This record gives sequence, structure tokens and C-alpha cells, in this order.
Amino acid sequence: MKHSHVTATLAWLVRDTFRQSISQGIFAVLLVISLLSIAVCLSLGVSGPTTLAQGDEKPDFVSRRDADAKDAAKLSTSGVTVADGKLTLAFGAIDVPLARDTKSGVQFLELVLAGGVADTLGLMLTLIWTAGFLPSFLEGRNICVLLAKPAPRWVLIFGKYLGVLTFVLVQALIFVGGTWTAIGLRTGFWDPTYLLCIPLLLLHFSIFFGVSVLLAVCTGNAVVCVFGSIVFWCVAWSMNFGRHALFTSTDLVSETIRSSYLSSLISFGYWVLPKPADLGMLLFNALGAGSHFGKLLDLETLEAHGFSMTLSVLSSLAFAGYVLFASARKFQVTDY
Amino acid sequence: MDIRLNSRAAAVFEKVTKVYQGRWPSRRVTALDEVSFAIPWGEVFGLIGPNRAGKTTLVKILLSICRPTDGRIMRLGCAWSDRSTLAEIGYVHENPSFSRYLSAWQVMEGYGRLSGVTGGSLRRRTGELLAQVGLADRSHEAIAQFSKGMLQRLALAQALVNDPKLLVLDEPSEGMDMSARQLLHDVICQRRLRGYSVILVSHALADVERLCDRVAVLRDGRLALVGRVADLAPHAASAEPHSLECAVASLYEGALA
Repeated sequence: MKHSHVTATLAWLVRDTFRQSISQGIFAVLLVISLLSIAVCLSLGVSGPTTLAQGDEKPDFVSRRDADAKDAAKLSTSGVTVADGKLTLAFGAIDVPLARDTKSGVQFLELVLAGGVADTLGLMLTLIWTAGFLPSFLEGRNICVLLAKPAPRWVLIFGKYLGVLTFVLVQALIFVGGTWTAIGLRTGFWDPTYLLCIPLLLLHFSIFFGVSVLLAVCTGNAVVCVFGSIVFWCVAWSMNFGRHALFTSTDLVSETIRSSYLSSLISFGYWVLPKPADLGMLLFNALGAGSHFGKLLDLETLEAHGFSMTLSVLSSLAFAGYVLFASARKFQVTDY
Repeated sequence: MDIRLNSRAAAVFEKVTKVYQGRWPSRRVTALDEVSFAIPWGEVFGLIGPNRAGKTTLVKILLSICRPTDGRIMRLGCAWSDRSTLAEIGYVHENPSFSRYLSAWQVMEGYGRLSGVTGGSLRRRTGELLAQVGLADRSHEAIAQFSKGMLQRLALAQALVNDPKLLVLDEPSEGMDMSARQLLHDVICQRRLRGYSVILVSHALADVERLCDRVAVLRDGRLALVGRVADLAPHAASAEPHSLECAVASLYEGALA
């Protein structure tokens, strides 16, 4: 088959996936969620000190609820600022007092949108809703006619995978791009690190959708794809987080495990499986989550134990590639 | 004429065996057992036999939808593994199904592209074929609203989108009304006139008798009989009805219903 035919086949499969998402209402539902989030951001307003910190220094302020904040004499002599800004929603109808400066308040909002709405809720919903795409594509009567065409089998599987990834990319662009623009327009803060969640979301999704594709090729069952990929995500997250917790903890049990053969086994599992917790950590670090939530894991301690974010991302990508290859291989030898 | 049309046969099966392997060794099912025959160019070839005789499996092997356990297959003069030959084959599934969210036009466009037909020739061919099968006025409706007969017409149109040298029809007339059956018969006759081959898998022995030059009878995965329709049913051209049915009746007896 010529390259131009492969490209035409891939393009048709991507378009077919969009038609499928539109006909099943998934495109519309995700679009509505994005538009609602953008509307909330467009109704946003902030007031108060832009930043309470100067240069590299730590913010030095007291909350307005603090007893010292009401003592004007004490405040003037100490030089401490009162964080009296506020964030408003629905064009001022709802007031949210800020216990920090406005920049940090906006960062917190972006963190909620990126980590909570997009990377957790959005990812899970998309994984569940798109899990049925492959099984219906591989349904016996439908796939037989497609397999009798000259396109190589791997092109069919890869084209559908690419179609779903493109669909997720478009949705991520609408959600992240839309909320970033709306927040920028309303608050004047244009933090480019927020846009980093587009490739990270796509990477995160591509790994677990790859598992869903493999399950679809092996079983052809949408329910298995949904539950299988979610259970796998939980196992991978537990292995990832558990390994880091083990290596950063100083308690006796952790030290005992670290010195036993279990340590090698856990490390092996960690490097083989994808690493959703590391991807989450990458996103949270980029958005400065440490100043809002404290650190779940100490990156410096992890690095002292041989952790490398680059290697972690690369090994997750390698897993996605292997799973896709295994799916194509299985599809290649399956009789329909 | 295409160089492949000069090679001697459109399809060759040599000792083709297919064993479906279950999860347990006791679940092995032999669907085809050393089936050998050839289909020359320009011939309308009938493939008949009782249910579970292995007809659809043989067609699926020819089209690379499933793999043979043993044996050798040549397709359009080339090795079975050469998928490029599939660009010159059209296939109508016994129970056609397309993604319900697509329109007839989108099905033709997509399946045409997969066969390597693109651009203006694809649009022209799509328009012609949809008009030929009587779906031109409903070409932009979602096929979820189509009846079984309309899906059969669409399946026939998509099989012809690449103007195939070999047309494989697996139970194509099931669910078709009289006019659609006549259309199917016309299509088969036109293919023969152009020197192309057709494989017709059917339980409608009267159609096979009327349309096919040669016929093969499969039973329990084995080739029970292969020969010219005129020899098997010498009264085919006369007024005597269903002479092929009488000729092969003994081969159907006692088979799985």
C-alpha cells in the first residue's frame, strides 16, 4: 500500500472517530463541560495585592481573619501585610475572600482546573466514554469488510487510536486554551505553565487508552475495556506512589522492606508500569502546587534515590508504545 | 487489460485446511479439510453447501479475514500474503453492517478510500453506484434508518466502488426485494461480460443455477463436488425447475441444518 493511501486511511479513521463521538453525544457533553468552565472563568474577578512577596522572598502576610490583622499599630510596626484580596465569581455575585495574594489565588484556581477537572474528572470520563469506540469498530460484521480492504491491519488499529487521541487533544485545547484565555482576560494573569497540562493530559490519556485498545483487541468487550483500564490505572498509580513512599519514608517498616528483595521487585514493577503519579507530580510542580497543598512527595529525596523525571516520562512512553505494538500484533493474528 | 488478468486463475485453493482452535484441545473444529480448486478468470463461480459446510470460512480465508491452518492460496495471480491484491476485490458480507452514524455517501467515501480510490473518481463512482442501487435520494441520511434490503444494496455498491476484478458475494440476496435481486443479477452478468470473476455463495440454488458457470459443493469442510453447472444440471437451460437442486440434493442429506 502506498504512503498516500496509508495517510488517506488514517485521515478517514480520525474523521470517523469524530463522527462517532458526535453521534454518541460524547463530543457535545465534553464541549458543554468546557464551555461551562470557560463561562465560570469569564465571570471571574480578583482584587487585592498582586503579590505580597518581593523577589525571591517568601510571602510575608497574615490572613484578614488573624487577630493580629485587626491591630493596626502592630501591623505598621511589623511591616507585615494583610491579605485582604478577594476573588469573585458570577460577575461579583459570589465573593471568595483570599487568604493569599491574587496571583497565587489565580494559580490555585488553575491548579483546580488542571489537576481536578481536566486531569482527574476529564481523564476518567473520557477513558470511560471512549472505551466503547474500539469494541464497536471491531464488531464482527463491521470489521470483516474493512479487513477485506488492502489497508494493513495495524493501520486500522493505529488509525482508531490516533482518532481518539486527536479527539482528546481537541477537547483539551478547548478546555485549557479556553479557560486560560478567559482567566487571562479577566485577571490579567497569563501563566504559560498552565498550558503545559495539554501535552501532559494527552500523554496521560494515551498510556491508559493504549491499555483499553489492547483489552478491546483481546476481548472485544466495552465493559472489560472500561473496568480493565481503570483497574490498571489504580494498580499503576499504587505501584508508582507506593515505590516513592517507600523510598522517602524513614520508618522502620520501610527501611526493612528497602533492605529486602521486595525492594528490587517493587522497583521492577515501578519501571515496567506507567507512572501516573509522576505525571501528576510533574503537572503539580509546574503549577506550583507545593505552596497550596504542601508536598505529598519530596522530589529532592526521590532524586537522591535515583529518581529521574525524564526517565520516568520516557519509560511511561515506552510502555504506551509497547502496548500499542502488542495490540497491533494481536490484531494481526486474530481471525474474524 | 491488467497484467493480473492474464494469469490463469482469479483464485486458487490448494489443500486449504482451517482448524478453529478452542480454549481446550477438545474444542478443535475443522472448518475446512484439504479443499482444492481453482476459479478461472471471467467465470461466475457458485459456492454452495449446507449450513456449517465451510463456505464463509473459505471466503474469509481468500480475503485475508482469517488465516488458513494449512494449504496454499493464490489471489489474482499473487500470493495470499500480498494484501495489495485486495484493492482489486469487492466483498459483500452475508449480513452487512456499517457504523450506524455514517450516511450511505460517507460509507462509500470511506470504503473507497480504504480500497485506494480517491479524489474526483471516488466522488463520481459513488454518485453513479448509489444511483444504480437506488439510494441516491437517501445518500445523506444516517444508515441507522435503513432497512435490511437497503443495507444489502449499499453493501453491493461499496463492493463495486473500486471496480473490482473479483467480486465475492456471500449470501447477497438475503433481504432483497425483486428489483434488488434483478439488479444483483445484472451486476453479475456485467462483470462476466467484462471478463471479471464473481464468487457467489448462496443457498438460493435457482439463482446459482441461473447465474453460475461452475459450482463447488462443500460439505462438512470437504469439497464434495466441483464442476460445470451445465454438466451437473443438464436441464438447466430447459423449462425443468431446480435441476441443480435435484442434482446436489443427496449431498445435502443428513448434513447439519
